[in-house]
Parts: sequence; structure tokens; C-alpha cells
Amino acid sequence: MLINSVIIVLREVIEAALLISVLLAVSRRLQLSVRWAPVALIAGAVGAALYASLLDSVSELFDGVGQELINALMQVCISALLVVIVLLVARRRERLGGPSTALIGLMAISVALATIREGSEIIVYVIGFVTIESHRASVLLGSLTGAGIGFSVGVLLYYLLLAMRVSHALWVSLTLLALAASSMCAQAAKLLIQADWLPSGAPLWDTSALITEQSMVGQFLYALIGYEATPSAIEVVAYFGSIGIIIASALAGWFVFRTSAEETSG
Amino acid sequence: MTIPRSRIAGICVILLVSLSTPSMAVAAPPVFEIEIRNHLFIPDVLTIPSGTKVKLVVYNRDTTPEEFESFELNREKVIMGGRKAVIFIGPLSPGEYPFFGEFNPTTALGTIIVKAEANAD
Repeated sequence: MLINSVIIVLREVIEAALLISVLLAVSRRLQLSVRWAPVALIAGAVGAALYASLLDSVSELFDGVGQELINALMQVCISALLVVIVLLVARRRERLGGPSTALIGLMAISVALATIREGSEIIVYVIGFVTIESHRASVLLGSLTGAGIGFSVGVLLYYLLLAMRVSHALWVSLTLLALAASSMCAQAAKLLIQADWLPSGAPLWDTSALITEQSMVGQFLYALIGYEATPSAIEVVAYFGSIGIIIASALAGWFVFRTSAEETSG
Repeated sequence: MTIPRSRIAGICVILLVSLSTPSMAVAAPPVFEIEIRNHLFIPDVLTIPSGTKVKLVVYNRDTTPEEFESFELNREKVIMGGRKAVIFIGPLSPGEYPFFGEFNPTTALGTIIVKAEANAD
């Protein structure tokens, strides 16, 4: 029960922790206030508790696939927010200014949503098993350990990004955010296939012989870039489609902003 | 303005086959049921036909929540205590697809065996 609690909580915490640390590092690099982070985390925690308490009834919606639909909706929302964040950050990177309040607001909402998504599962697990006397100590200790490891990984990434040269750090951050957005789109596609709202198909490839999803490396790659050993065509399209959209809009935005900046300055 | 009926019917069939969303599906997918009792899957081995979509209904008879999870099936779903979950799987090719309960992974273990049927209706 102890090891299991560590793994369950770590799996959920690490995804949110990576996202939060990248966004925090970006805020620091752009000299924005980071006060949005605690607000977003508290809002996310309250939302997670609410969602966890409603999960019973949510699951019954839409002929028993309400959980998949709501989770997919949250993933798509976070993904869309991250795309806009990437654009706004790329724009500020070119010292073209841009609305910082909008950027801060979008970062706060995406972190709150990610906390609801990942936090609700932790709450369901902990509340479900902590009530059993014999499990209580190991569930609590394991969950705290898992949360602690996830938090540490986030802190490590945060300081890594701050230690890099500014230009490198922003490119790495933007790449990580783009990958997170794509991974969440692919996850949403997977949930909609599970709910039978999108057609299922045979896996396009199978890399489980190289890296299994169960392994430590597989789990870490899943959290970082959305690794999936046997993805179906729709998941692959969702993943690379989002990457394409992000690159295309970043390039378009960069050229448009650059031209308009040159015009105004020169 | 006059489109032959046969063509309309043909287009409809193609749409149904390609999309086969729940509302449009002609034949509902076969339903298979599994129970969770004392953190065990009953039955722990389930045989389903290959090449067809299957509706899996998992009843959680425990008071504690469980998360149905399978890396091989790409499925993951939380099932609250005393509730049931609907999970669509397949069409799958023949083989063995293990699944487990993430909240009790030492006891809640099962396998879905996909078998080719001579003539799956």
C-alpha cells in the first residue's frame, strides 16, 4: 500500500508539477509577478475537491462516459490555453511587449485546470482508502512521499530553467509547453475513443519492446512528452496536429508581430 | 435534384461504417461484464471476439474506489465505490491484454483474451 500510494500520487503530481515549474520559470524570465501561482493552486485544489465529490454523478452522465468527456474537455482547454501562452511568450521574447495581465491570467487558469484534473484523482484515492484503519498510515505516508518527489522534480526543472541562459531557457520552456499541449490533446483523443465518441483503430506502431509505459522511463516520458507505446491513428494525428498548429501559429505570429514592430519603430 | 436512392443508401452505409458513433450505430456492441469484489476482478479472465468493438461494464462492488487501467488496451478510468463504469474497447487483434486496478495493483489483476471467431456474426 505504501509503495503503491507513492506511485499513484507521484504519477498525478509530476504532470502538474512540470507544467507549473515551466510556467513559473517563464514568468520569472519575463519579469512578471509570480503571485498568480498560489492563487491558481488554491483555486485548483478547491476545484479538485469539488470535482472529486461530484465524480459519482459525473460518471453516470452521457450513458456512463461523463468522466471521459469532462476530462477530455479539460485537457483540450489546457492545451488551447498553452498554445496561446506559447504565442504570447514568443511575442514578449521579441521584446514586443504585449498584455502581461492576459498572459498571467491564462497561466493561472491552465495551472488551476491541471490541478483539478490531476488533484481530483489523488483526492478520490486518499479519501477512499484513508478511512480504512489498516491502510491509513501507509496511504498518508506514501501520498506525502509521492507528492514530495513530484514537487522536487518540479523544483529541479525550475532551477534548471533559471540556470540556463535566458534565450535558451525560453526556447526550452516553449518547447516543453508545446509538447505538454500536444500530449494533452492526444490524451483527450484517447479518452474520447474510450467513450466511443471517436472511432477506435489498431495501434499505428508498438514501441513497448523499447520502452514499456509501465517502466520508470516510460512513466517519466509520459509526463514530460506524453509517451504512448501503442498509439492509435487519431491519437497520433491529435499529437502531431497540435505540434503543427503551435509551430505554424508561432511562426505566423512572429512574422506578423515582427513586421508591425519594424513598421512602428522605423 | 434527383439523386438515386441506392446512392443515398450507399453514402449512409459508408457514413455508418466509418463513424459508427453510438447514436448512429446499427448494432450495439456486445456487452461484457466484470465485477470488482474485495479488490479482485471477477472474472479475472475475460474472452472477447477479435475485430469487434466491445462495451465493457465494470461493477465496483467494494465501498472503496478503484481505477481500471490497462497499458496494453490504453484504458484508464476511476470507478467509485458501489458504482459501475462503461469502457469501450476494441476492435482488437487476437492476443492477451492484461489490466489491473491501479489502487490495488497486487490483487486486482485480470486479462482480456481476444480470440478470432470463425464467423463473428
